[in-house]
Amino acid sequence: MKLNKRKRYIILLLFPIVIAISIAFTNSTTQKRNITATLLTKSTTFEAGQNIQLDFKLSDSVETELFLHSSYGTTVITPNLSDNTQFDIPDFMANKKGRITYTLVYKSKGIASGEIKIIATTEQKVFLESYIGPPSIIAGGRDYTMQTVLANDSYDNPIADSTKVIMKHQFLDRIEERELYSKDMITWTNIFSYKQSGRMLLFSKVHATVSKEFSVEVYPSLPENFEITSKREHIYADGNQITEFITSIIRDENGNIVSDGTMVDFSIKDKSGLLLHTQGKTIEGKAVAKMLHPSHHEIWQIKGYVHGMAESNTLLLEYEAVLDDFNVQFTNHNREIKVGPLISFMEQLIPDGAIVKMNIIKNGVKIDTKIESSSQGLVRFILQEGFYDTGEYTIEISALGVEKKYNDIRLK
Amino acid sequence: MDKSTNKYLISALLIGVMFHGTAIFFTLESTYDALIHLFFGNHYANNWFDPWSYSWYTGFTVMGYPPLVHQSIGLLSYIGGVKFGLFTVAIIGIILFITGIYRFALVLTSNRNVAGYTAIFAVFSSTFIETLHIFGQLPSIVGLSILLHALPEIYLWIKIGKYKYLVNALSLLAVTVTSHHVTPIFGMVFFIFPLIGMIIMDASREKVNSYKEVRFFLFFKTFLSLFKRIVVFGFGSLLLIIFCILPYWVNTKNNPITQVPIPHGSRDNFFEVTSSGLVFFLIPWGILLFILPYIWFRFYSKRYLFFGLSFTLLTILGTGGTTPIPRMMLGDNAFNILTLDRFTLWASIMALPIFGEFGYRFVEGDLRQKIQEKYGGVYRRVLGGLFVSTFVFIVFFTMSLGYFRPFQPQKIKMLPILNFLQQDQHDHWRFLPLGFGDQMAWLSAQTNAMTVDGNYHSARRLPELTTRAVERLENSKFRGVEGIGSLQQFLTVPEKYNLKYVFSNDKFYDPILYFCGWQRLRQLENGIMVWEKLNIPPLSSILPKEDVPTFLKLMWGLIPVGTVLLAFIINIQLIWIHGLKSKHKSFPVYFKFAVAYDGFKSSVIKISHIWGVLMIIVFGIGFYLLYIKNAKQISPINVTESYYDALDFKEFERAYSYLDPNSTKTKDQYMLEIAVTDGLLSSYAKLDEIRVDIIAQTDSTAKVKAFTKWVTPLEKIDKTFFHELIKEDKKWFVKTSSYDLDIPPDQLFVENTPNYFNHGRRRITSEQTYHEDVLKQPVLEVLSAKIISNNGQYAIIGEIQNIDNVPADVVIAGTLYNEANKKLAMFNVKHQMKHKLMPKEITSFRVNFEGIAWSNHEERKPETFDPDQFTPVNLEEQPTNFDLQCAGNVATVDLYKGVTINELSIQKDHIEGVLFNSGLQEVTIPLLLVSYYDENSELIWVDHQYLPEGIRPQRKQYFDYKLLDISTVSKGENNLENVFINGLLNKEISNKVVPERKYEHQLIPLIPISGKGFSYVKLEVNTYIGNPN
Repeated sequence: MKLNKRKRYIILLLFPIVIAISIAFTNSTTQKRNITATLLTKSTTFEAGQNIQLDFKLSDSVETELFLHSSYGTTVITPNLSDNTQFDIPDFMANKKGRITYTLVYKSKGIASGEIKIIATTEQKVFLESYIGPPSIIAGGRDYTMQTVLANDSYDNPIADSTKVIMKHQFLDRIEERELYSKDMITWTNIFSYKQSGRMLLFSKVHATVSKEFSVEVYPSLPENFEITSKREHIYADGNQITEFITSIIRDENGNIVSDGTMVDFSIKDKSGLLLHTQGKTIEGKAVAKMLHPSHHEIWQIKGYVHGMAESNTLLLEYEAVLDDFNVQFTNHNREIKVGPLISFMEQLIPDGAIVKMNIIKNGVKIDTKIESSSQGLVRFILQEGFYDTGEYTIEISALGVEKKYNDIRLK
Repeated sequence: MDKSTNKYLISALLIGVMFHGTAIFFTLESTYDALIHLFFGNHYANNWFDPWSYSWYTGFTVMGYPPLVHQSIGLLSYIGGVKFGLFTVAIIGIILFITGIYRFALVLTSNRNVAGYTAIFAVFSSTFIETLHIFGQLPSIVGLSILLHALPEIYLWIKIGKYKYLVNALSLLAVTVTSHHVTPIFGMVFFIFPLIGMIIMDASREKVNSYKEVRFFLFFKTFLSLFKRIVVFGFGSLLLIIFCILPYWVNTKNNPITQVPIPHGSRDNFFEVTSSGLVFFLIPWGILLFILPYIWFRFYSKRYLFFGLSFTLLTILGTGGTTPIPRMMLGDNAFNILTLDRFTLWASIMALPIFGEFGYRFVEGDLRQKIQEKYGGVYRRVLGGLFVSTFVFIVFFTMSLGYFRPFQPQKIKMLPILNFLQQDQHDHWRFLPLGFGDQMAWLSAQTNAMTVDGNYHSARRLPELTTRAVERLENSKFRGVEGIGSLQQFLTVPEKYNLKYVFSNDKFYDPILYFCGWQRLRQLENGIMVWEKLNIPPLSSILPKEDVPTFLKLMWGLIPVGTVLLAFIINIQLIWIHGLKSKHKSFPVYFKFAVAYDGFKSSVIKISHIWGVLMIIVFGIGFYLLYIKNAKQISPINVTESYYDALDFKEFERAYSYLDPNSTKTKDQYMLEIAVTDGLLSSYAKLDEIRVDIIAQTDSTAKVKAFTKWVTPLEKIDKTFFHELIKEDKKWFVKTSSYDLDIPPDQLFVENTPNYFNHGRRRITSEQTYHEDVLKQPVLEVLSAKIISNNGQYAIIGEIQNIDNVPADVVIAGTLYNEANKKLAMFNVKHQMKHKLMPKEITSFRVNFEGIAWSNHEERKPETFDPDQFTPVNLEEQPTNFDLQCAGNVATVDLYKGVTINELSIQKDHIEGVLFNSGLQEVTIPLLLVSYYDENSELIWVDHQYLPEGIRPQRKQYFDYKLLDISTVSKGENNLENVFINGLLNKEISNKVVPERKYEHQLIPLIPISGKGFSYVKLEVNTYIGNPN
């Protein structure tokens, strides 16, 4: 009994499945008629934007569809309502330059096919896309910028090859015009820089359409060697005044003044062979660099250079010492040491801030160094009791390049 | 027993809501956590079912924190905005807490008056005030309050066994689980277990006549008889904990927290770090400290025995690192992850009913009588007065703590920042706020722009962050080496994170930004300085995301609010009607176990007195020690330390007061001298350590040597100062030191400098920048580049020149490859170069390959602070090849080049010299770049040194550079094969732009020094201008 019941269920289930499958695979056996079609429209080349209508003549009045394929895509359109053999090509295809292939379809079968061509419109205004780059180049004729023009019709179709394109540029007092012909959608030219630096303005023109103004900056080329001079208030090594190093106007090989901000380094070799350093940025080709006067007798050899590109002559500057000697007074059991007055080159007091250095040496060992800056030409050192035991000391004092040594100073 | 409305509870609720409800408007937004919850709330308001947030940490999941409180904020925000949501949730939390503690007290003491007292005391308890108004831990408060509400239901279920109570209890527990994950887990241990113990005790008590007769055997038997209910409840709650926040557990498993422990004050030794002791011990305990003996006495009575054990455990755990016990109990791992302040919170909450009981007995109970009898009414009133005034003082102190010692930077007006981010597509890049405190969460909540930082560190994924004990990049200066180190990595390689803008609210970070190659854009109206980095690509429109299954998202979005609805429906009559007005025919069963308050034990009074006196003495000693430590002028060491302390905190008037009063220096003169000093040390340094040694001392004079260690954003500075001191009137003073007397030659001077301006866009348009407005990238040329290795560390060094006609901002990225051209490491140049180059200017550079610090757990992190510390990347193989990608962008700012090297002298292994500022800007931080060359004039190493003091115009600054021993550096071959400039080959650029380069110029600036491993040295100067004018 149980088995039977199960069988019955299976049969019940199988029945609808069989029916469903058989319906699904049933083919209708409607008959196909043979229909032929011919294109009535004469022209096969259209300008973009035109209203394109394709007319067919059918051997029998049946419902057809038109299959269209262009570079913009593929679509199937139905005939116009008024006439079932007339097809309007949709705008998105009719506005684009290129080829459209069509197939007239009746019951999934092509009954006529062909190709139409759409060219850029010449009736309406041309639109220009123009590019310039790079926006800055270097003078001298080696570097160049590229001007590129893409001329399009109002439907954004590239205009036909060999369309005349005029490119003009202005540089200083000259205006140059080039006549070019478009090829493969674009027109381009390289504009080499001239010897001079400055600003170049460019534009282009196709038919009546003109582009906006573009500008390209022509920067000067690499700097050439230059001269340097110096300017100082006096020749003395007072450690206070400032000496300026000034370059001649730095130019490139074509005589253009180098761009503002060009870095000029100054290397200064002092009499002990060490290198000091200062720098200046050019304005109108001239760079000014500053150095503080040395605080002792000194001979400086100064050379300016733009790294790897240009250099100057070597300048020799001598700074004379402002003093030969100074007073040192020991008071208060030698615990108070007064240095000065420090007298400058005209017997004036040296400006505040001159450095006086004192080394305190005991038994040949340096135990302390005191550094003070001068005030009113004087410096006072105090060797406090408790910190410096009683005993013999050697005191070395140096200021403005003069060194003095006092042996056997006894502190109480 | 009277069944009328409990007037104490009503007053507690009224006072609580009015007091806390109004105060939160002034406190909550400046608490540590509230704004984080606000940010999460805002996330749910916008993406209820999407747990992925892009705002922080290059994306993270919010499934790392139970969502109920955040979702409630999000829901309420639909009514009145996120802040409305935040405050409403806070007020609900306050109400829940007061009613919860009332019900807890009722279970514990079975006395409505005591419970009422408890509710009132709870309103003003310092632990609650601190948790709400200082920490802003809303989920914790809500979770704990609901747990307290669940306790009576648990009691009734286990005691009576009606399923109604089980459902009540579990429904409330579910809410707890979805609002805070730690509370129910530890709550089980510390609240529910002792409660179960108490229930068993009560049940045992029913079988005998008094608690005294309850013996272990009886207890055990009762336990067995209740075992089934306990197990049912236990499993039920376990299921809830797992099920209700299942997505949380799944997330925890999938994204295990890789974060290294972040130091937290609650783990400090409270004696050593007194501020932590104050915040995490003294304040939460507050007045409870004075009645500790009573609390212990009551908790160790038989009925409360288990609460006593739990309370003891909590108290000990709450002491953090003061004793080694918590670490031993929790184990190293848990100790370093948990914040231990929550134990103190729970302990003090647990003690509140006992405190309420004490209050009741003192005000109207047997204690009142006893004291009156023993010591008289006046004494009782005085004692009461003392108690009340201490209580009031602690409340005032806790509430105003944030006012006197702000935990957060001043409130920042966010609108200008939001406007900035919205303008000109600035939100297409990530930003980084610096010095915002927790307000960064508020900023993130308001903008779509993303930041690399974030404020929920368990959720981070970037190894740069998880391997460092850094809370946030934003406050990295408080985290020493790890903080600044992490920050430096982000600032050096910002391309990796599309990080283009930094909002700086703290000028401390300015130097590091500058030397990492960032530039100031402008100051917003709210005083925030915007820094930007050039050459950063914008974020891609599709960002990576870790998705989770939909059922988890649904669970996360629906269950929490569902638990609330369910609990609300089930418990509504219990929370409100039952709580306020008992309409029940009978009192709950626990009322049977009330203790009669008669005959307060004299011994307890005595001990309490002794304890109270002891506490007063301890506090007295504490204050005295504090005074002695801070007595400024009793010894030469003290006064020197105080002097530097005053300088450190910029309290110049105080500093002046430590100076020799007999000196000729007036206060005006002193202030003026201070005002004109600028530099790394005086403007950007924080004193880290000071050690003062007395070199010589007489009765009235002394000479000291102060070794100071300063932390700056750039490096650690060790500097030794010498001072002479003098004693006058038993006080020591520091002798004034001389200042620079140098007089510049010119009073007024003029200088021509080229200045630049870049329009950006010449048209006002929201479109992309027109191509003609895009400037050409300046052309650079690399003159030399090579790999070198020093003690196993690899670096790329070289020289680069701007060969264009416009100033350039230069970014150099170096990559190391092995022989098979496998990429090994990549990094940018940090501060060992001049990032801004004038036309034709040259700079040396060094690319260090920095790894992620302590990514290997075996490496011990250093104990002391060193922001300059460097973690070299761990290379698996030997690099043999490299490439350099250099990018130039037109720079218009930070082009100051006015510093000259005016004097030099070469000592044995030192270069001493004088820098002179010949220009018009005040140089804040000069950086000396030192390049080393070998005998063939080949570059072999690049080093740097920051000078601690700034240089004013026409002034000098001395420097002393110690030459390195670089004989260990292996010399690499110069290789320009794979060097690219703006994507083009360097070789081609070189041939085209500078075909006839004068290579001999390379030699001009080289100073011949025969040192260890080198023959020449070149010096270059880079300058940071703090306040350009």
